[in-house]
Amino acid sequence: MRPLLVRLVEDYWGILLLLFAWQAWVVVNSFNPIVMPTPTAVLGDLVSHPGVYLGNVGITLSIAVFGLVAGMLVGTGLAVAAWFSPIASGLLNPLTVLFSSVPVVALIPVIARLLGYDTSTVLAIVVIITFFPSFVFASSGLRQPPPGAEDLFRVLGASRLDLLRRLALPAAMPNLAIAFKLAAAHAILAAMVAEFLMGTTGLGYLFAKTKSDFQTEQAFGASLVATVISASAFLAAGWVEKKVRERYS
Amino acid sequence: MKQTLLGALGIALFLALWEVVGRTQILGISWPPLSDVLAELTDERRRPLFLRALGATLESTALGYLWGTGAGLILATVAHLLPALRRGSDRLAAVLNSVPSIALGPIFLVLLTRESTPAAVSSIHVFFIVFVSVSSGLQRATPAHRDLFAVLGADRIKRFGRLELPAALPSLVSGLRLAWPAALIGAIIGEWFGAPRGIGILIINAMQNFQIVLLWCAVLLAVGASLFFYGLLTLLERAAYARFG
Amino acid sequence: MNVAIAIDKVSKRFPLPGDKEGVLALAELSLTIAPGEFVAILGPSGCGKSTLLRLVASLEQPTGGTVTVNGAAPGLVSAQHALGVAFQDHALLPWLSVHDNIALPFRLAGRRIDEPAIARLLELVGLASFEKARPKQLSGGMRQRASIARALVLEPEVLLLDEPFGALDAVTRRQMNVELQRIWSARQITTMLITHSVDEALFLADRVVVMSGRPGRILREVQVPFARPRDPWVMRSEAFHRLVDDLTAALEA
Ligand SMILES: Nc1ncnc2c1ncn2[C@@H]1O[C@H](COP(=O)(O)OP(=O)(O)OP(=O)(O)O)[C@@H](O)[C@H]1O
Ligand SMILES: [Mg+2]
Repeated sequence: MRPLLVRLVEDYWGILLLLFAWQAWVVVNSFNPIVMPTPTAVLGDLVSHPGVYLGNVGITLSIAVFGLVAGMLVGTGLAVAAWFSPIASGLLNPLTVLFSSVPVVALIPVIARLLGYDTSTVLAIVVIITFFPSFVFASSGLRQPPPGAEDLFRVLGASRLDLLRRLALPAAMPNLAIAFKLAAAHAILAAMVAEFLMGTTGLGYLFAKTKSDFQTEQAFGASLVATVISASAFLAAGWVEKKVRERYS
Repeated sequence: MKQTLLGALGIALFLALWEVVGRTQILGISWPPLSDVLAELTDERRRPLFLRALGATLESTALGYLWGTGAGLILATVAHLLPALRRGSDRLAAVLNSVPSIALGPIFLVLLTRESTPAAVSSIHVFFIVFVSVSSGLQRATPAHRDLFAVLGADRIKRFGRLELPAALPSLVSGLRLAWPAALIGAIIGEWFGAPRGIGILIINAMQNFQIVLLWCAVLLAVGASLFFYGLLTLLERAAYARFG
Repeated sequence: MNVAIAIDKVSKRFPLPGDKEGVLALAELSLTIAPGEFVAILGPSGCGKSTLLRLVASLEQPTGGTVTVNGAAPGLVSAQHALGVAFQDHALLPWLSVHDNIALPFRLAGRRIDEPAIARLLELVGLASFEKARPKQLSGGMRQRASIARALVLEPEVLLLDEPFGALDAVTRRQMNVELQRIWSARQITTMLITHSVDEALFLADRVVVMSGRPGRILREVQVPFARPRDPWVMRSEAFHRLVDDLTAALEA
């Protein structure tokens, strides 16, 4: 076991360095807190107004989680449909390749025009951003059974449904886990960008509002919270991905 | 062959659906027919506006792309050669990737200028993708190959240059491909923080002035810029996999 | 005459990219196997043995000629879940335990899982204490044994074995041969065994077929004269050695 201090430095030197540089930069330039607060001031605001943050975190987080689940279900569902029908897959594949490289933030205003300037647009953005990796990774996973397994299922007279349930879907699990890892960290950040533009509720809204009210510390507080949640989501999803990979391959 | 035809048919169906939805106004006036958008997009009078916006965004994106790629390559290589730094740099990259882009905007605004903020936000997006793809690529050299190099008496530098770097190339190129749309998104968000021009500005202005057709034009410009270079990079990726895969 | 597997003037050509001719893997090959007969196939690597087996399993379609199993198209036997196969490559599912891999044929046939049968087979192939293990936790030979158990678990009408003992050591291989003979003697399943071991072929089969490569043809057929049940001692007999020499010579021709 490495001593605690060594472990702290080895694992977090980059982050510590970043925070230290931020603090030093603000102090040396003696910035006005409205322009750029120190990390300690931001932390102070977090500790003194937990209620403001908590409510908005709840809203953004639930939208992100709900959108993540919905997007993965829709993406996997369409991938399964494409797996069943070569025609559907032929029609869908190039379209999704096209769409998966589309800058999604550019779509936010368009979606807002269609769904209204509120939470449903935020949710739609999270679903869209989750949908594409899920569809792309699920599609390729469904088509990568272990060597020889497809022959085995044919020889044993498996039905198409059995082939899906007992072979293609389990074989796609590691790929789905990768899609989950990619989408988990982005879900909350995408929700925040949408909230920033919509301006109704959530962390993104808190950021926009406090920023224009010159409560810069709170704006950075909202970003710090989002960073921590998103980074934890990324790490947790990485752990899930590793477990799934071990389980299914 | 059949797949290509089906794919073309799928895209044609999508475009036709777009036109029909716009013509019949099932989704209201927010969904203009494709033909209207294309007419506006090719309108002579609009051309200078579009070209200026596209030029500014592409310039920021390209700059951010270069800076991000350089930073990602360097940090990944250093962390690979000095294993003591590896865990810390992984975490730093994960945290940088988790900072909301809308928070990066104001920071770079103080740190840099209004004009260079889009490129800076974009470079952070690119940095993460390149860092991750290079780090995992550098670990792709198989143990058997490593043993072979050890037996042949290759030193650390030779092993890196002759084995690990070539093995990482396909992964790097995939990363470069995926990084382009991310770079474009970063530039667009960065433009929201006071850039004088760009597609991001066009989008925001059109949204606030309810210029729906113009908004769609801006979106199409962004999509076009993303797809064109994404396509080019895909070709590059194929070549790299064919050579080193 | 009673026929279980009928292979009639079968040819198989595989397309090759950039080559109009392709590879002729089998050329007008004919072979009939009686119900309950055990036929072993010998031949140099790449001569088309696996291809022949895949045709009988309906995994490939012949370019010329016909294959019938029990008088019908071979696809019908698999649709009735009456085919048992062990591939050269074990093809175990990595996410299932050894037990669940062996139970898979029951699930795919929509039948109730016969736990005692699985337990018996696990015992037989020496994996009883590994039933909960994952394929990746097993050695290569253990994986092969699991895939043999899976091939036998449905008590199939037709059994197709593609070098099932290739990764086993000599002692285990001998044991598995004895066990396979015992199982086969109890139910006389129509069996096609592909192997590289002349001893194994002679010990197990009623008839041994030697193939030549490029294109695959039948070079020789030998009726095995030894009475059943066969004791491993039979391998020490003068007659056995003569047949081994004879077949080895045919293989080297
Ligand atoms: N799917 C395929 N596509 C193209 N050629 C194939 C294919 N399968 C087999 N072949 C060719 O057919 C020939 C016979 O292959 P087969 O696998 O039947 O050999 P085998 O006798 O089983 O060899 P081994 O003892 O090495 O397993 C080979 O020349 C091989 O290259
Ligand atoms: Mg073979």
